Amino acid sequence: MSGYIAFLKKEFIEDTRNYRLLLMLGLYFIFGVMGPLSAKFMPELIKTFSPNMQIIIEEPSALESWTQFYKNVSSLGLSLTLIIFSNCLSNEYTKGTLTIMLTKGLSRPAVILSKFSSIAVIMTVSFWMCFGVTYGYTAYLWPSEELSHLLFAAFALWMSAMLYLCILMFGCVLFQQAFASILFLLVITLIFSLLGMTDLLSAYSPSFLSSKNIDLISGTVTISEFAIPITISLIMSGVLLFLSITVFNKKQL
Amino acid sequence: MSILTIDKLSKSFGAQKVIDDLNLTVPEGSIFGFIGQNGAGKTTTMKMVLGLLKADSGKITVCGETVTYGHIKTNQQIGYLPDVPEFYNYMRPLEYLALCGEISGLSKEETRSRSNELMSLVGLDGVKKRMSGFSRGMKQRLGIAQALLSHPKLLICDEPTSALDPVGRKEILDILQKIKGSTTVIFSTHILSDVERICDHVAALHNGHIAVCGTLSEIKTLHKRDSLLLEFTRSEDIKKFTSDNRIVPLLAHSEKNNTEIIIHGSNIEHIQHTVISVLAEASLCPSKIEIVEPSLENLFLEVIQ
Repeated sequence: MSGYIAFLKKEFIEDTRNYRLLLMLGLYFIFGVMGPLSAKFMPELIKTFSPNMQIIIEEPSALESWTQFYKNVSSLGLSLTLIIFSNCLSNEYTKGTLTIMLTKGLSRPAVILSKFSSIAVIMTVSFWMCFGVTYGYTAYLWPSEELSHLLFAAFALWMSAMLYLCILMFGCVLFQQAFASILFLLVITLIFSLLGMTDLLSAYSPSFLSSKNIDLISGTVTISEFAIPITISLIMSGVLLFLSITVFNKKQL
Repeated sequence: MSILTIDKLSKSFGAQKVIDDLNLTVPEGSIFGFIGQNGAGKTTTMKMVLGLLKADSGKITVCGETVTYGHIKTNQQIGYLPDVPEFYNYMRPLEYLALCGEISGLSKEETRSRSNELMSLVGLDGVKKRMSGFSRGMKQRLGIAQALLSHPKLLICDEPTSALDPVGRKEILDILQKIKGSTTVIFSTHILSDVERICDHVAALHNGHIAVCGTLSEIKTLHKRDSLLLEFTRSEDIKKFTSDNRIVPLLAHSEKNNTEIIIHGSNIEHIQHTVISVLAEASLCPSKIEIVEPSLENLFLEVIQ
């Protein structure tokens, strides 16, 4: 346990001094502001730059602002997060920094758990800050509009982000190079979205959590439909984390 | 008492057998030189002792406890200095030692006092910059400090001097000499002069097993071939000397060039008597007569052939 805490502290120092923390906070802050801002001003921008085009543009709304939020965070935001943290283990492998730590008596599970915890904490803080910014700004721009299930919809996306972090951890343990773990992640994402396309499995696929958020807010799907994908994601995250530890225990360094 | 015992250790990487039935015993309190060519399997052996690599077969015991791959119990007795120690570049040396101390389970107070003590032992006291600006020599010295932090009974150094300039090498050897007595040191290298300078025990690794092992003097005596070197100023003198009837039987194992001859034999006194009487009778004056001491380098070359 003391090894876990010591290494967790080291991870936070690393993320701070290597600007990963700053990058994450900055990135998610921008995403938080961008959603409401683009929803509000995109129609005007389009009108200004192409005055002759006939485009039917809907009136800016709070729902549009949240649509932007989910679009940005679930695609670009999550991808960049995973890229930022993709070298969390490969750096230690290639440089050999971990060898000394392990010979000092640091347990191998503590390495994986502290790396996962630090990334999860940074992701969680950045994500909910982004949510807060979007929430506040949207409420400021469209004070009269009331939307339901905002918190739960965001929770579903956060849950899926946690699952992706677990997949990344497993990829990092399996492969020595960062790009290989990204590739691994890409393959899994592809499988998830293929599952999401089939009628039979779409309601169970973890991709449900990152694609149906707006449908929940607009009322086309209900909270109860999220129960199975959330349970599946939770189980998968646990299994992946367990597998990461098991494989890492057997890894020759 | 032995601090490390390796019994019938074997390890293959794919089809290549790197370690083959290796047996080794390291006595407590010694500075143990572990020599071998590049790729002989020194690092592999050390990593198996540290539980970082899995042995195919065999048993390793550190301070009476068996080493299990992936487990850390025996590592608490061992300090390890990798060949090129790499640290977290964004940290400062004292921060790094604090991290090491916390992982080893030392108290904050103990870590602080021990860090200061070790930083001055390795000549890094007062260095506060981040480790990204460290030279190789500085990294090697900090490597020794981290390895000694928790008072290990055994210090394993993997080629600590190979990548350093002569000054850096001398500094590292001096530090190792300083800790002699309080910690047993295993020191792998292919620089034989380093071994001769500080080690009292030596083992040479060749073809995956120990080719020769013992104290430095034992090995030298065991492999001693008495040799007498004679140097003449003129080549005619050497011709005259070697054509003498009493000298000819001694030349079976000799090395000769224009002005120099080295006579090898099992009885140096007999060789000396014969040579001196021949020189006196033939009125030959060599410019140099010397008994050649066996060097570790010659022994090593002999062993690996």
